[in-house]
Amino acid sequence: MEQALAQAGIHLEDAAGIVATGYGRMNSAYTDKQFSEISCHAKGIAHLLPNARTIIDIGGQDAKAIRLDDRGMVQQFAMNDKCAAGTGRFLEVMARVMETSLSELQEWDNKARTVAHVSSTCTVFAESEVISLLSAGTPKADIIAGVHKSVASKAGSLVLRIGLQEDVVMSGGVAQNRGVVKAMEAELKVPVQVAPNPQIVGALGAALFAYEAQMKKQK
Amino acid sequence: MSKMQSILEKLAINPVQAVEDYKKKTGKGAVGCIAPYTPEEIIHAAGMLPIGLWGGQVELNKVRAVLPAFACSIMQSIKELELSGSYDILTAVLCPSSCDTLKAIGQKWTRKDVPMIQFVHPHNRKLPAARTFLAKEYQHVRERLENVIGEPIPDEAIVQSIQVYNEHRAVMREFARAAGAHPDLIDPKTRHLVFKSAFFMRKEEHTALVRELTALLDEAPVKPWDGPKIILSGIMAEPDSILDVMKELHIAVVADDLAQESRQNRVDVPEDGTVMERLAEQWQNMYGCSLAYEHEKTRVPMLVDMVKKNQADAVVVAMMKFCDPEEFDYPMIKQTMEKENIPLLQVEIDQQMQSVEQFRTRMQSFVEMLRHE
Ligand code: SF4
Repeated sequence: MEQALAQAGIHLEDAAGIVATGYGRMNSAYTDKQFSEISCHAKGIAHLLPNARTIIDIGGQDAKAIRLDDRGMVQQFAMNDKCAAGTGRFLEVMARVMETSLSELQEWDNKARTVAHVSSTCTVFAESEVISLLSAGTPKADIIAGVHKSVASKAGSLVLRIGLQEDVVMSGGVAQNRGVVKAMEAELKVPVQVAPNPQIVGALGAALFAYEAQMKKQK
Repeated sequence: MSKMQSILEKLAINPVQAVEDYKKKTGKGAVGCIAPYTPEEIIHAAGMLPIGLWGGQVELNKVRAVLPAFACSIMQSIKELELSGSYDILTAVLCPSSCDTLKAIGQKWTRKDVPMIQFVHPHNRKLPAARTFLAKEYQHVRERLENVIGEPIPDEAIVQSIQVYNEHRAVMREFARAAGAHPDLIDPKTRHLVFKSAFFMRKEEHTALVRELTALLDEAPVKPWDGPKIILSGIMAEPDSILDVMKELHIAVVADDLAQESRQNRVDVPEDGTVMERLAEQWQNMYGCSLAYEHEKTRVPMLVDMVKKNQADAVVVAMMKFCDPEEFDYPMIKQTMEKENIPLLQVEIDQQMQSVEQFRTRMQSFVEMLRHE
């Protein structure tokens, strides 16, 4: 918290209201209110890209698909179960298996000639599949493209649950990986935009909630 | 202590204590009834204590060797409890074969000193032959129990027990109504515990306590409720921690369609026929449950009606992890709720759930969504 305040160049007393979101939102001592990350992502995206109707938010722990109405309100959402498949954590595990880093995944994806088949249902199985692919001599770039496809197909099934509507926007840290975005477009067969600074959209939404509450109070 | 508080304390759940106290008081034992539907009236008529076995929050170890990871979470815990000897205080256990997992549970029973009595509910329920068949199954259950206890269970005693149970069902339906009108006094967990406590008490005692509780609720003024009102549907809504989250989010459970709660009290045992036929006919008359096959799937319109009748804002399906009968129903529920514009949320029920944070995120997002509706 102190670090965040220092970076913004403000003091705690300067903040008229504080809203927390994300896992751990219940444990924050500073906050006036807390909202779930689904509501906050929706708020953030509706502010940044008002035409968005479907949000795919893939973070480190989970993946979500959110449908917005034309007022930018959440109409429906679907969330992955406890399994790590299709989340940022899945990409981390795969990057480790392939001895590369998360940030290099998209460069590798660019070099892929074909997309290797990687199971989308289970992190543990996918890991051993990747190891078999590596030992069979499949190029690393193709495997990484396969890993991205696997994440996209998992998130794609969440989108199917809520019903696909354009514009489709990705948020969350994983959206920074162009490889996943490309795979998502191939999966859904529609263009997928990436929110500006996708990893802070939830925080932006929380700030907007705090701002609105403040405006209401002043009225 | 308020009167209501004192009744709720009497309803508190302590299964082992309940069995021991009952044995001490009556010299008779307890018979476990594996969820969801067993002819408890026969056990009751034998003067024994029927105990509902609905799993619990246990760490899974031994069960790994006998059930695959994709067996439903409630049967995982029941099997774990069995293998670790928790059910050894029981005189016998009854198990229906309503789904594939239940069939396996009955067949894999290991406790030699606690006989397992398994029976089959016919799936083609409406045929006259189904009644004859099930009456024979129940007769078989009765004879096995008679063997175990070494005494006959007379017809007249079963007739009396049927009356006790029908009365209990009626009182529970009344409680559900009163609790729905008073979410300020009965929060989701308390509501659940009132239902669950019926599995650890003789029904006549439970009836008396719940009747008193309902009367107190009916005397209390109805206050407006500004939180979301939901209908809960599914096998069960446990562990209790998820109900605590609902309370924190100011959610009212205005009615339920849970196998562990209101489905138990939905249909009375009818008046006509021999005792076994009457018990069998109750199963023929059951409706709106994923385990009681029906071509026309009355559960779906029933849920819509429940929403309207109770002025609920939404339906929450508590989906037992890996329960196929419930999973088969879900697409139909989803389709209809969308058509009817009734918000619907599915949450996964895993008795072994350690952390409720994911549940909280789903539930809270849903509540935030409802507020904007
Ligand atoms: S699969 Fe469903 S119906 Fe069968 S035992 Fe498990 S929870 Fe009950």
